[in-house]
Amino acid sequence: MRSASLQIHLGFKLATAALAVAGSVVLLMALTRLIPGDPATVILGSRATPEAVAALNARIGLDKPLIEQVFSFFGKVASGDLGEDVFNGRPVLSLVLNALPNTAAVAVAAMLCAVALGVPLALFSARWPGGKTDRMVAFLSVGFISTPSFVVSVFLLMVFSVHLRWFPVLGAGESGDLGDQLWHLVLPTAALAAGWVGYIARLLRSSLLEILGENHVRTLRAYGVSETKILMKYALKPAILPTLAVLGMGFGELLGGAVFAEVIFNRPGLGSLIYDAIRTRNYPVVQGGVFVIVMLYVLTNLVADLSQSLIDPRERARLTSGRGH
Amino acid sequence: MTFNPTRRQVLVGGASLATIVALGGVHPAFAGADRAKITVRVEKDLSNLDPANRSGPIDLNVIWSVQQGLISFKPGSTEWELDAAEELEQVSDTEIRFKLRSGLAFTGGYGDLTAEDVKFSFERFIKPDAEGKPVTYAKDWSSLDRVEVTAPLEGRIILKNPAPALYTIALADGSGRIVSKKAFEALGKDIATKLIGSGPYVLKEWTPREQFVLEINPDYKGPIKAHFHQIVGKPIGEQKTAEIAFKSGEIDFTAIDPENGKSLAALPDASITEIPAIDYVWFGPNIEKAPFDDIRVRQAIRYAVDIDAILQGAYSGLYPRADALLAPSLLGHWKDAPVHARDLEKAQALLAEAGHADGFKTKLTIEANARYEAIAQIIQANLAEVGIEVEIEALESAAYWALGENDASKDLELSLIKFNGKFDPGFQTQWFTSAQVGQWNWQRWKNADFDALHEKGGVTVDPAEREKIYIEAQKLLDESAAFIWITHNLNAFASRKWLKPGVLPNGNNWLYTAFTQATA
Repeated sequence: MRSASLQIHLGFKLATAALAVAGSVVLLMALTRLIPGDPATVILGSRATPEAVAALNARIGLDKPLIEQVFSFFGKVASGDLGEDVFNGRPVLSLVLNALPNTAAVAVAAMLCAVALGVPLALFSARWPGGKTDRMVAFLSVGFISTPSFVVSVFLLMVFSVHLRWFPVLGAGESGDLGDQLWHLVLPTAALAAGWVGYIARLLRSSLLEILGENHVRTLRAYGVSETKILMKYALKPAILPTLAVLGMGFGELLGGAVFAEVIFNRPGLGSLIYDAIRTRNYPVVQGGVFVIVMLYVLTNLVADLSQSLIDPRERARLTSGRGH
Repeated sequence: MTFNPTRRQVLVGGASLATIVALGGVHPAFAGADRAKITVRVEKDLSNLDPANRSGPIDLNVIWSVQQGLISFKPGSTEWELDAAEELEQVSDTEIRFKLRSGLAFTGGYGDLTAEDVKFSFERFIKPDAEGKPVTYAKDWSSLDRVEVTAPLEGRIILKNPAPALYTIALADGSGRIVSKKAFEALGKDIATKLIGSGPYVLKEWTPREQFVLEINPDYKGPIKAHFHQIVGKPIGEQKTAEIAFKSGEIDFTAIDPENGKSLAALPDASITEIPAIDYVWFGPNIEKAPFDDIRVRQAIRYAVDIDAILQGAYSGLYPRADALLAPSLLGHWKDAPVHARDLEKAQALLAEAGHADGFKTKLTIEANARYEAIAQIIQANLAEVGIEVEIEALESAAYWALGENDASKDLELSLIKFNGKFDPGFQTQWFTSAQVGQWNWQRWKNADFDALHEKGGVTVDPAEREKIYIEAQKLLDESAAFIWITHNLNAFASRKWLKPGVLPNGNNWLYTAFTQATA
């Protein structure tokens, strides 16, 4: 019975995820065709004759009705084919798979970095609320959150690449050279993580203060448990749940939203792949790239959702007692 | 448990960090210049390496260095020199004979370069491709009737009509590259991504969106020598990133915004090159739409707009003014073209005469970018002074250029346009012919005399006669008052002091073989 309830919960989540993916792709295909401009104009430029444009559109399937294009896309996806780049016929799947590790690396590194800095800052703030440390952390957090990442990026580049020449500006590093790839990862990670450090620090601090004001914490204090132990052992676990949910969303967002860092640092990732493809109306690449991002976004949210269910004893009890999803 | 770092711990930590950085040293990307290799920035990635279906100058520049033509452009010039051809003779207005050098061979084991390859390479422009479609650059060889092979290394190019522009538009340009027939048949559609040639360089690597690497072709037997063992091209779309990468030393050559030339020139190892371009930037009304169908309104607009203020405000006073279609370096440049100075009184009088003394409302369509927005705002302010209220419509690039399709330009009112120039004047005049209304003639101006002059210029062989024809054609454009010229643009490049870039006069095309070490 308990296992059946868990299965229903999981099934519901998976079905919602599949619907979200399908809906997003259909919406995207409709939107991309609504905006003016097409690949033929971009490819053929000022030499485009109506005949050449029509011929190119026919070659890449843009002359077919939208609904036919949608079914064709999902049909191909089912067989592991995301279509071909309209400019040179390269398989979109290989373009996406080449770009994905560069994006995933910077997203994971930025999140880890943000957690590694944001959580201790929140703990310091919550340990001495209203004190100098708290005020300093609040100031820094708001500063990090409100500074646009592209400003941080340019600042980091000017200091660490142009003046100090410690870190490179361009690309993701030599393939097969892990050291070089890590070296190229430092500045984009710092630029992306900065805002998240502040965000995590503020969010977790609020949750911690809320938990620290509850009755069971007062009881712990009455028993003489040290503040640090209360913070680390009894308050952090429940307080981190809302942050975990935000991190799940944030990670998904970083996968698609790291575009500015990819453009400024010239990283050949998924965000910049889609950005360039939109500018040139390279529809198969836009569709394939967005499809993969939506899949990852939905997946990370699903994982965050399920892990929250596992960490939170109340949620776990609700599911295993069979009280719906 | 609390963490209270002591002063000693802080000092040790700081020293450790400094040591790590010191031991790590400077990243290899910043290592001293390796003069056998240069790294250049290209604005976008390679796209299609089939010369007949290439997608722009980035592709063409690489194709040029890998594939030979019968002739090729001389470095820094619009003139040509012999390349794969040992001899090339214009036997008559419609026949060109050629004799290939012996010993030229394609890379990848695709055999010797022969007259059959020349025939195949040129005739594919006038025949439909495997899918029955014309190739993208079919128009470049529209005058071609056939190529006859008279010996393994000799042949005749037979034209349907005289075509003096053929040398610069096709033979020396991308459409004149000689592809291997065998390679083409073996590679199929991979011809778009695998470049086989007989030229000074081979395309050793193309990692999409990361870099391409050109390396000297050890088997090359032609006359054009490459100077750097390796040329690495890095696609960097963002201008600011490119300039930072140049400052940091990661790239040796990049196109820059001329306005940033001064700050980059201050770098100790940087050199800035400026080359007047042959593009044409102009704005004008759709003359099919009222009130622009009245020439007095068009003339009033031309009097009302301050071109010099645009050049100061939007181009920092660095770009040269254009007074006609053809740039000074082109055949047919009209050096005595009238310079239309601003005259508000005349503008108002003309508007009153045309029945628009109180002005009217209109829309100016532009491609969205900071410079064009600045131009549009100056035009808006200028025209407001004579009562014309201008709404600015800024369209994203692909949406803007889609106006060239499906007769979309019929709904335009005023539009600001920039076209890239080519080395033959006929390339520039073609967009203003009546046949282009509905496609690229957004002013929708039709003039039978202009059409006839364009046709005549295309088949006239004598350069002096051609020059007269194109000047006459530009006079007609001027009389229409439908085209208000702004600038021919300016190209600027930053390079290391030890590097001399091989840029052609239009600025967009580079000969990688002409990149050399600068002499003191």
